[in-house]
Amino acid sequence: MLSITDLQVAVDGKKILKGVNLEVNPGEVHAIMGPNGSGKSTLANVLAGRDNYEVIAGAVRYRGQDLLAMEPEIRAREGVFLAFQYPVEIPGVTSLYLLKASINAIRKHRGEEELDAVAFLKLIKEKAALVEMRQELLYRAVNEGFSGGEKKRNEILQMALLEPHLSVLDETDSGLDIDALKIVAQGVNTLRSKERSMLVVTHYQRLLDYIVPDFVHVLAQGRIIRSGDKSLALELENKGYSWIEGHAT
Amino acid sequence: MQPDTLLAPDTAHYVDQFAQLNKGFADEDTAWFDDQRRQYLARFSKIGFPTQRDEDWRYTPLRPITSKNFNVVTAPERDVDLSGFKIPALHSHQIVFVDGHLDRKQSALDLSQDGVSIQPLSAVLRENPDLVEKYFGRPVKNNSHGFTALNGALYEDGAVIKIAAGAHIKKPIELIFLSRTGMAISQPRNLVVAGRNSKAQIIERYISNSTAHTLTNSTTEIIVGHHAAIDYYIVQTQSPSAYQVCGVWVKQARGSRFSCRTITLGGGLVRNDLRVALNGSGAHCGLLGAYSVSGKQHVDNHTTIVHQAGNCTSNELYKGVLDQRARAVFHGRIKVAQDAQKTDAQQANHTLLLSGNAEIDTKPQLEIYADDVKCSHGATIGQLNADSLFYLRARGIDQAGARSILTYAFVNEVLNQIDIMPLRAVLEEILASRLIHEI
Repeated sequence: MLSITDLQVAVDGKKILKGVNLEVNPGEVHAIMGPNGSGKSTLANVLAGRDNYEVIAGAVRYRGQDLLAMEPEIRAREGVFLAFQYPVEIPGVTSLYLLKASINAIRKHRGEEELDAVAFLKLIKEKAALVEMRQELLYRAVNEGFSGGEKKRNEILQMALLEPHLSVLDETDSGLDIDALKIVAQGVNTLRSKERSMLVVTHYQRLLDYIVPDFVHVLAQGRIIRSGDKSLALELENKGYSWIEGHAT
Repeated sequence: MQPDTLLAPDTAHYVDQFAQLNKGFADEDTAWFDDQRRQYLARFSKIGFPTQRDEDWRYTPLRPITSKNFNVVTAPERDVDLSGFKIPALHSHQIVFVDGHLDRKQSALDLSQDGVSIQPLSAVLRENPDLVEKYFGRPVKNNSHGFTALNGALYEDGAVIKIAAGAHIKKPIELIFLSRTGMAISQPRNLVVAGRNSKAQIIERYISNSTAHTLTNSTTEIIVGHHAAIDYYIVQTQSPSAYQVCGVWVKQARGSRFSCRTITLGGGLVRNDLRVALNGSGAHCGLLGAYSVSGKQHVDNHTTIVHQAGNCTSNELYKGVLDQRARAVFHGRIKVAQDAQKTDAQQANHTLLLSGNAEIDTKPQLEIYADDVKCSHGATIGQLNADSLFYLRARGIDQAGARSILTYAFVNEVLNQIDIMPLRAVLEEILASRLIHEI
């Protein structure tokens, strides 16, 4: 599904990722944990194709293709989904409009018929129920005036609608209370399948109680310094990042 | 009246028109409004059309207008087919003017049962001029510019709308001004008097179906009574060959609310002068504007809000998109008089330039003489937000599509605040067809 080899990335001339290696197979959920400034969000954004991230070295293969050579919209159409840490507010564009434009762009890319208004509404209502999203929010401008929890649920709603092969969740737990966290996690869990892979980027172990990963990697100072199963996350929680950073040097 | 050889040719043409049209009343007519026409003509003869040497007209070259001789239409077409201009699903009280003259058959004038009276100005002046003397009969002001003076001298007709105290008018009143004849000048003169505690929505629509040039020079006065609430719309969708100077003068009494949405999606050269005087304590005005033009179109919005009384609020937001060689001007003047304490005035103008050849000249002008006020203004001229662009692309929408959606959204933020849904839908459709390309 995803194969990252010696990925080195700089932002504003400063090297953030210093050689990341990662293999994600279909159906696997990988958690990337790390302290602030370790490069977690950089990794998530580079995979989605955001500008201003300079790839200095390394390669990323996604389903047999060179991911880094693709424009962001092509990555999305090929099934890469980034759930944003800070979802953007877009006044003047309703969620419905965005979602329809989005799903039809993706369907067109796959050679499928565009959805008509009726089929689209039916689908969106089904997915909105999944993340307990109030339907009136769909008629409002994208994320405008949404609470932190509503914004994150909106991300998962989009993910559910677009049915990506690879989902990258960038600190989806930040700013969520425990109830919202459970709803978001439940939405994510219903999307888990043998074909679908996920990369869950998080600072805290808490999210991993609800989205149980197959693998946990610790990113520190731009490198994955330790990998293990879910017990690694618990160990980190108990001992703190200083424990593992100490071992790294 | 002899043509005055000392007049500039552009001015002389209209003075001459006045002489031709008013042979009838000459000097023996002494009604206040005849007198007033002569005074306005004298003023126009003296000052002529504004030029770019006038600070208020600095960025708006008037040559397209002043280099041509527009003529007053004396025998206007009746029963013009308006079907192509109807707003679907809009149920309104409709008043139609063609080339400045009332199209009586297509106008709903008898509305007295609803608490509103709508009459053609021509009939009011003929039959019952006392009705409007209080508002129109003031001495000619020396601060009026050439277009206002010209309108004062040469107006053909207009709507006189009186809303009874306490009346809530359910259906919007829709004034349609159609420019139909090439090289015609239309000069509507309207009056709206909203009684105490009344409530109404009024739409001024400017349309044209001439490929030849036309000029509309309108003046509207609006008196908003105590605690009345008026939602006003100026919707400009003429063809690029149409020129327009649109003046709206508003006076607000205590506790009244006035909102105006000026939407400019058409016209070759459009100048809007919107002046609001907050004369009574606790009044509020909200001025919103949206413009989207391209080619060589020119849109100039001049607004003046005078906080004359204390405890008033004003809120102003103009947003626009300019493509190709289009130009826009925004001049927002806010004056807070010495006694207008506890004033809260906010102003913003944001423009997107889609082409290196497009131009916006934006100028806030705050004159504050009171000391306990909250005033802010901001102007941006800009690019689309990079984070928003990436967000849309990360959802599979290509760069061109994402740009057009965000451009549309930028202006649509203003259209979203239109409460008359059929009107909003039509304008959104025009905007979307213009800005959103195939995704």
